[in-house]
Amino acid sequence: MYSRKYATAAAFILPALILIFAIDLYPAIRTLILSLYTPEGVFDPVANWGAVLSDRKMLNFRSWEPPYGAIIHNLIWIVIHLPTTVILGLLLAVLFRRVKGKAVVQSIIFIGMVIPMVVGGLIMSFMFDRSIGVVGIAARLFGTPAQNPLRYPDTAIYALAFGSVWLWTGFSLILHSAALSTIPQDYYDQARVDGASAPRMFFQITIPLLASITRVVIVMTVIWELKIFGIVFAATGGGPGNATNVLALQMYDYAFRQFNFNYGAVVTTILLIMVLIVSIPMVRRSISE
Amino acid sequence: MTNRLVLLFAGVLLAFPLFAGAAPEEPDEIPTVRLSHSWTGAEGELFEPVLAAAEEELGISITTTVLRHEDLVTLLPTQWRAERSPADVMAMRPGLAAEGAQQGHLVSVTDRIDPDDFVPGAAEVTVVNGERYNVPYIQKTKPGFWYRRSFAEEHGLVIPETWDEFMTLLENLDQLDGMDAPIASGNGDGWPLTDVVEHFLIAFGGPEMHVGLREGEISWTSDAVREVFAERIVPLLEEGYFGEPTEWTTALERWWAGDYGIYFMGSWITGMVEDPEDLGVFMLPGTEAVVSHVDSWYVSDYAENRDAALELAEWLATEGQRIHVQQGGATATYVEISPDIYPPAEQRIAEATAGLEPLVDLDDAIGGEFQSTFWGELQLLWVRPGQLDEILETIEEDAP
Repeated sequence: MYSRKYATAAAFILPALILIFAIDLYPAIRTLILSLYTPEGVFDPVANWGAVLSDRKMLNFRSWEPPYGAIIHNLIWIVIHLPTTVILGLLLAVLFRRVKGKAVVQSIIFIGMVIPMVVGGLIMSFMFDRSIGVVGIAARLFGTPAQNPLRYPDTAIYALAFGSVWLWTGFSLILHSAALSTIPQDYYDQARVDGASAPRMFFQITIPLLASITRVVIVMTVIWELKIFGIVFAATGGGPGNATNVLALQMYDYAFRQFNFNYGAVVTTILLIMVLIVSIPMVRRSISE
Repeated sequence: MTNRLVLLFAGVLLAFPLFAGAAPEEPDEIPTVRLSHSWTGAEGELFEPVLAAAEEELGISITTTVLRHEDLVTLLPTQWRAERSPADVMAMRPGLAAEGAQQGHLVSVTDRIDPDDFVPGAAEVTVVNGERYNVPYIQKTKPGFWYRRSFAEEHGLVIPETWDEFMTLLENLDQLDGMDAPIASGNGDGWPLTDVVEHFLIAFGGPEMHVGLREGEISWTSDAVREVFAERIVPLLEEGYFGEPTEWTTALERWWAGDYGIYFMGSWITGMVEDPEDLGVFMLPGTEAVVSHVDSWYVSDYAENRDAALELAEWLATEGQRIHVQQGGATATYVEISPDIYPPAEQRIAEATAGLEPLVDLDDAIGGEFQSTFWGELQLLWVRPGQLDEILETIEEDAP
């Protein structure tokens, strides 16, 4: 009886396991192995990883000025983009909670999520153009000399990170909106009877009850930021002078411009490790909950 | 009854091949050749009559795919490893083609294409271990700085014949009302900036400097190269004579509208402006060579119909070119094609570049890591000309 039950279960699970192994695990293991060999085919992990990590395009500590290297650029992206999108999405979700026609506004904000990132990058390159872009026009209206921030090494990475907030805020907004609808109205009514102010209700009811979904939003956003490619590729190509280079772009550069798949595999493995560092705690927490 | 019917049906089925064998022979199947190119929009439309004529004259069927360089660099290495290719006849950049030729994925055309039938250098875009791999097609030259003749006439601008006159022209342009900058700086990934820099290197360092840099015989940090940058390009950047890098088609529109005075671009802009008749072009004084981008075809080693693929490539290099250049947008590399068949704008380009040494595009020829570094560093130079030495050192690190 039990063996038949297990056989049925296995029959359902097996196709998924085969697919996961073929599409996820096997390529990941092969990439990891490839990263341990030099381009000449010699097993020398130290040399291969050392060559990549000492490349100025990956890490650059020559001066305090950009470019800092792809790893630091990804971290800058996370520091700027993560809190901005998560908090903005949360605030908008709370703000629109009781607004009539909120679905229309939320859908408009969500458009950023459905736009391909390469198109988003192209839109940004025009957005920042000093003569035809909305940012340039706004700067001129305020009497500020218009300058395209994407063209200057000291502003380019920040312009990209801030400029891409609209592309991802919809994700935070939609998830937080959905989670907000699950909080019983009674909690707020009771708190109001007890004399709680709106900010206190926000910090002591809304935030704690949204914590689990906020964690998901944070993890997914960090993963998105780590694998950012299309926006940078289309808006700046990693320039000027590598000032906007990021890990995924560097991986592309190694693998498909230099045909150096071993170096590309090292960058992929670095990305994998960074993603695991972020996602494992969330998965463990989800299991324990 | 039913059994008899089944037997009868089976008998007919069995006998069918016998009758079929006696039937008149089917005509031979038309060979199909898969071709990929990167032209879209107006450029793609110019190629359509060529393909139609090829099918008619060669009696083949051509299936066409548009594959840009960005697609090919990710697609080809993986397909090559699996001993496949996305097309039998492909257009691609020389750097990528050299990689494929080195690894044996492309067919040598050394015995099929005579370099003397083409303009100098056109048949030698991809030479690996003494074997030639590219079948030359049309060429797009980068003849110099474009200007609107009506604009120059209206403002009394004089086309320069010396460096001093060039500087005077820039000063005069800079003083015009509504002028954003005298020279438009097109930007893409950075490639338009490399074109103008290459022109300065050829004009002030000679064609030998261009070739030496391409071959890795001259260092980017050498005094001679640094001098061209420091004395010719950097002063113009510091004076603000070059505009801020702007997406190149937007820069083209703004230049045409009068926001910029002159614009360094390739001959393809003749098909992108409202009135090609209004176009004028001049080179920096002393220029003895011109960079041409030769569009080439490469035949895959994995072509199913290799003979038909080679035949098509050869036809494109000769008769195909004739049909293409008659429509404008490019000039021919096949020497049997007379410039008389070009539209007026292309005729002017042919006249302007006659007698000049043709050179292949520097960064296209090298490709790989150098190309992306070169593009990115020139973008940096445009906004930080004071960092010249550091920029040249970075370029040198990835140079051949």
